[in-house]
Amino acid sequence: MINLAKRDIEHTLGKFIVTAMGVGMLLGIVLIMIGVYRGMMVDAEILLDDISADLWIVQENTLGPFAESSRVHQDMKDIIYVTEGIDKSEAMTFQNIQLPSPQKPVRVVAVGYDIYGSINPVNPNRLIAGRDLKNEHYEIVVTDKTGFKLDEKIKLGRNLYTVVGITHSTVSNGGDPLVYISLKDAQELQFLYSNKEIQNNEARGIKNSDSFMVNTIVARVKNGYDIDEVAKDIRKWQHKSVYTKEQQKEILTKNLIEKSAKQIGLFTAILVVVSTIIIALIIYTMTLEKMKEISIMKLMGLPNSLIISMIVKETLLLGIFAFIFGNIFAHLVYDRFPKRIVLEIPDAWGLFGVVIIASILASFVGVKKVISADPAAAIGG
Amino acid sequence: MNKDIAIKVQNLVKNFGKGENLVKVIENASFEIKKGELVALIAPSGAGKTTLLMMIGCVQEPTSGEIWLGEEKVYDNKWLSKDTRKIRREKIGFIFQAHYLIPFLNIIENITLLPQVNGVSEKISKQKAMELLEYLEIADKAYNKSSQLSGGQNQRVAIARALANNPEIILADEPTAALDAQRSISVIKMLKKIAQEQNVAIITVTHDDRILPYFDKIMKIENRGIVFHELGEDKIL
Repeated sequence: MINLAKRDIEHTLGKFIVTAMGVGMLLGIVLIMIGVYRGMMVDAEILLDDISADLWIVQENTLGPFAESSRVHQDMKDIIYVTEGIDKSEAMTFQNIQLPSPQKPVRVVAVGYDIYGSINPVNPNRLIAGRDLKNEHYEIVVTDKTGFKLDEKIKLGRNLYTVVGITHSTVSNGGDPLVYISLKDAQELQFLYSNKEIQNNEARGIKNSDSFMVNTIVARVKNGYDIDEVAKDIRKWQHKSVYTKEQQKEILTKNLIEKSAKQIGLFTAILVVVSTIIIALIIYTMTLEKMKEISIMKLMGLPNSLIISMIVKETLLLGIFAFIFGNIFAHLVYDRFPKRIVLEIPDAWGLFGVVIIASILASFVGVKKVISADPAAAIGG
Repeated sequence: MNKDIAIKVQNLVKNFGKGENLVKVIENASFEIKKGELVALIAPSGAGKTTLLMMIGCVQEPTSGEIWLGEEKVYDNKWLSKDTRKIRREKIGFIFQAHYLIPFLNIIENITLLPQVNGVSEKISKQKAMELLEYLEIADKAYNKSSQLSGGQNQRVAIARALANNPEIILADEPTAALDAQRSISVIKMLKKIAQEQNVAIITVTHDDRILPYFDKIMKIENRGIVFHELGEDKIL
């Protein structure tokens, strides 16, 4: 039996491909939107995974360093260390800073950590050039996305920092590149006022706070100890808020990303609806262009099923080709976006299912037109 | 019913509208057309030629009357079969003013489409299509698209398509309207040859007086009824 859909597509191949490419670009944007969400989820977990702490101890009644401002004294690290069940503990700071650059200032999140400490946030697997911090002052490890090179000097506060290492793909939960500096440098940057301001404050009778503050204490629990029980003990005796790794992930993903995820989800849904409407309009136009032929086929006695099958097959093929073009488009452009886009195969298959359903729905407008076509219209010019 | 009769119409009525808006188009029309006859259907515009053609072709439902196609009674104040398309598919071939070939199919696919829907195998339907194309002297165009053929060649393909399902009847709606005089006569001669050799009844709606001498019968709609005229009568020409 002659495949009418195949023959019709072959007859207008150029038009069909251009149309599929157009719809494909829309579907590609849908994939990228999903990829943005996935990217946010990945970004949110990078620092947590690299630090790999079992517990995050933060200022009481706060959600911790990523969601709310948190200040804890540095010596809390030692108090936590001697708590029953704790294997390692370290003090860390996290702060947004802007690195001066000849091209364009770079906004980053600086992670401050004790370079002699037992928990190092710099994942050696991500280090692509240079080394980790070795000196307590004026060294910095940057992410490749910042654009800085090894041995380049960066002015931060009153001092010049030397780039000693470059990492790949390290970003904060907000997608900003990460840089790593020593805890002392970080404290100086975050908590120490300038000499003039200290003098000014003292003249006004304001007591200057000390700079031995950090944003969080991270800790690893010894094998055999229940993480939740250890957390409960710290909460009870140290008057601090304590979160497990999973709770911290939840804070990052649910509390911080949820709204963005909903926004992206809504955009994605709108794009899918728009794609469906566009496919439906294209199929409607393609069917209208064939109305004379459809009337003739009906007059000759061809069953509706044969003509409807042609329309449905063409719509499905348009959807499938658009899906293929959409994937190609998304893979060609995704790494040009400033933030991480993660294209995952299950998401693509999910979209494929949606495209098939959307194509079937879109074909209804063409099918309706076929059913209403009057065979008598073929006679009489 | 006489086996030589291809079409029999008895007391056929077709009205449009109701009440004050009632328009009577065909009133108590009765006629018979034999197999192998080439019949011209003439009448002024709006007199009901196309309506009559569509009723015979099981496309438009009459108001009342009876229609036989071959030995099968297809209409007796209502369609006797739910699937009138099947009747068209199996018994009737259509030729239109323009060729109306399906542009995305090549010539041989245009011809074999209907037989294949009727269950004829691809091989046999192609064989038959090639025979028809050879008969109509355009076999060399079998794998071309209609856009690559001239108007006359396309009309011959349309005739081949109408013959492909071995119909008992061919209904042609002004098949020469788009052709010049010479090609019009050539097409009508071809239809006459087909009617005789394939034993098919052909009704052709026409406005073209020049081709009337080539028909076996002239059927005219007069005062909403059917009147037959013999060839050569001055009043019809």
